[in-house]
Amino acid sequence: MTPDINPFVLFFASIFTSNILLSNFLGMCSFISVSKDIKSSNGLGMAVTFVMTITTALNWIVYKYLLIPFNIEYLKYIVFIIVIAAVVQILEMIIERVSMNLYMALGIFLPLITVNCAILGVALFMQLRNYNLIQSVFFGFGSGLGWWLAIMALAAIRKKVDKAPVPAALKGPGITLIIIGFMAMAFIGFSGMLSVQ
Amino acid sequence: MSSVLIAPLVIGILSSVLAALIAVIDGIVNNYGEVNISINKGRKNVKVKGGSPLLMTLSEEGIFIPSACGGRGSCGACKVKVLSDVGPVLPTEAPLLTDEEIKSNIRLSCQIKVKSDIEIEIPEELFSARQFKTTVESIKNVTHDIKEVRFRLENPKEVEFKAGQYAQLVVPPYGKIKDITQRAYSISSAPSQKNYLEFLIRLVPGGIATTYVHQNLKEGQKFDLVGPFGEFYKRPTKADMICVAGGSGMAPLKSIIYDMYENNETDRNVWYFFGARSLKDIYYLDEFKKLEEKWPNLHFVPALSEPSEEDNWKGETGLITDVLNKYLKERIKSPNGREGYLCGSPGMINACINVMTSNEISEDKIYYDKFA
Amino acid sequence: MKMTPELKKAKENMEPGKITSSGFLGEDTREIVDIIEKDEEIFKNLDLNFDEVCEKLQYYLEEGKKGLGEPITVDGKYTVKIDEARGFLPCPFEDGIFRKINATLINNENNEKIIYSELSLHLLKKHHFCQGYGSEFRIDPLIIKKIL
Repeated sequence: MTPDINPFVLFFASIFTSNILLSNFLGMCSFISVSKDIKSSNGLGMAVTFVMTITTALNWIVYKYLLIPFNIEYLKYIVFIIVIAAVVQILEMIIERVSMNLYMALGIFLPLITVNCAILGVALFMQLRNYNLIQSVFFGFGSGLGWWLAIMALAAIRKKVDKAPVPAALKGPGITLIIIGFMAMAFIGFSGMLSVQ
Repeated sequence: MSSVLIAPLVIGILSSVLAALIAVIDGIVNNYGEVNISINKGRKNVKVKGGSPLLMTLSEEGIFIPSACGGRGSCGACKVKVLSDVGPVLPTEAPLLTDEEIKSNIRLSCQIKVKSDIEIEIPEELFSARQFKTTVESIKNVTHDIKEVRFRLENPKEVEFKAGQYAQLVVPPYGKIKDITQRAYSISSAPSQKNYLEFLIRLVPGGIATTYVHQNLKEGQKFDLVGPFGEFYKRPTKADMICVAGGSGMAPLKSIIYDMYENNETDRNVWYFFGARSLKDIYYLDEFKKLEEKWPNLHFVPALSEPSEEDNWKGETGLITDVLNKYLKERIKSPNGREGYLCGSPGMINACINVMTSNEISEDKIYYDKFA
Repeated sequence: MKMTPELKKAKENMEPGKITSSGFLGEDTREIVDIIEKDEEIFKNLDLNFDEVCEKLQYYLEEGKKGLGEPITVDGKYTVKIDEARGFLPCPFEDGIFRKINATLINNENNEKIIYSELSLHLLKKHHFCQGYGSEFRIDPLIIKKIL
């Protein structure tokens, strides 16, 4: 049942060939809105990676030891969201106490991550593809890094495009979506190199 | 058990476990425990509950750092030298600290939180500042927008201060305002009146404390004061005192002048220039006239910049700075040198400094209330 | 919509009694970002530029100071009166402190009046925040258009 894929292969696959943003189109809203500013994109990418890794692992544990024994696998959607929300809340409190600088840097992005569909998406993928714990952790970490990579790339491109003569009607969301489309097409070039399931 | 029950039960338990976890972590993370504040190299040590700003923590222990804005981070009066590491300078502190101050570890005590053991240094005089419980003895209108408010001290019953110092009024929540506010006002009563503190308070539109005093404060009401604070007081030299103040700025000068009279320091020449717009903005004319008769070296010079017809004003007219200039050049001979004492808005103070420095008063001999 | 901790603190600071006795929001119940967005739209529609408006208002304030508290006529067309009080006002967005200097500007030709302070000019220039409807110190774009 558990696919026989080396966790490291899974790690690289989740960054490139199956990039959560550019191949699976999850986590789009903050991707588009936050990539206006490079510094915020960096902060957000960091936060997303953090949360994704931790929640994927936690959700795997909750699924295997709570949902399956009681035969309530169908509740996974609700339960995963509850776990994600709690983890984000606790993380926010701990970061505020331990490192004020980091808390200021992340700002509002930490609570915003709860509703980032990429987080839930990764948890569900993990469950659908029947990964074991190690694979889940590598998959979560890799997907987070892939998300971070994509948003940094988009932020950098947008900074350049800002100075270009974009037609008025396409300024802002218009040209951004077109750019994302091109990026996605570029990433298709990776497909087939490594497999995720 | 029926599967219909299991599902909500599991979700319920999971949610409660997570919620409990959050609550526990919140308790741990936000509880700083007991910390020790060491003041002036161990001259005083206090054990306090951590987590609050230094200013509040100290005032709860009976040590009052001056604050003209009540801890809001807008006056810079609460500067304290902090010898321990309390983190980087906050954006709310930066506008009020000079580079030199930051280098010498001076911080705004209303902005830094006490999270662990901390060592600080404060001026010795602050140990004598107290919180006073008082009763409002009288509220009098001296002009259309200035009230003279007199507080009778109940606990402690006596206060010791230098004429020219100020105290903070602790304004309780009122109207739409939900927090306690503290604002600083110069004391207008003489130090000889140990059981009273009197203030002159002008109504500032939109001002939190002045609106309270003019609209809500009642005689007989209980009120808290904190003080005394301040470095504006008469210097013990023989030089002529050239004093300029308008409006409620008269307060510290009234205290200084009456204090001098009571202590028989009447050899000294005192010139007091009081600037106002028209007759309705001037007050205490009779009191000062009487004092002048008993003290020949005191000269009270009121000047109106826009007297109205009905005022029938026979005294000086024009801007106070022009009148000051005229007198300094032509009327005042100062064999013993001159000192300047100013109280007023920053604009007026700057204008007066200019006039004074061009009339043989050096800037280091010009003293003014700095809590603007 | 969830607000950043900075915006939440700014909104708290704008309550009556925190910085000024009547606060910066007046009767407005909208979020700060909504107020700013709406006013930015109105500014654009009226063809007004935030920096230019601030420069003009700052100029009248400086000229008005020469009156030393009395109303003074500036450029023949405007009457400016400056009121000063002791102390400072911190910006609700916690990025600076400002002297308590209020200017009352009246256009003598059409009698339109506006009251503003050094703090409200900073809010306008840096944050594009005109203050809520009903606030005494609101720099309303419609009135600005008529005055300037």
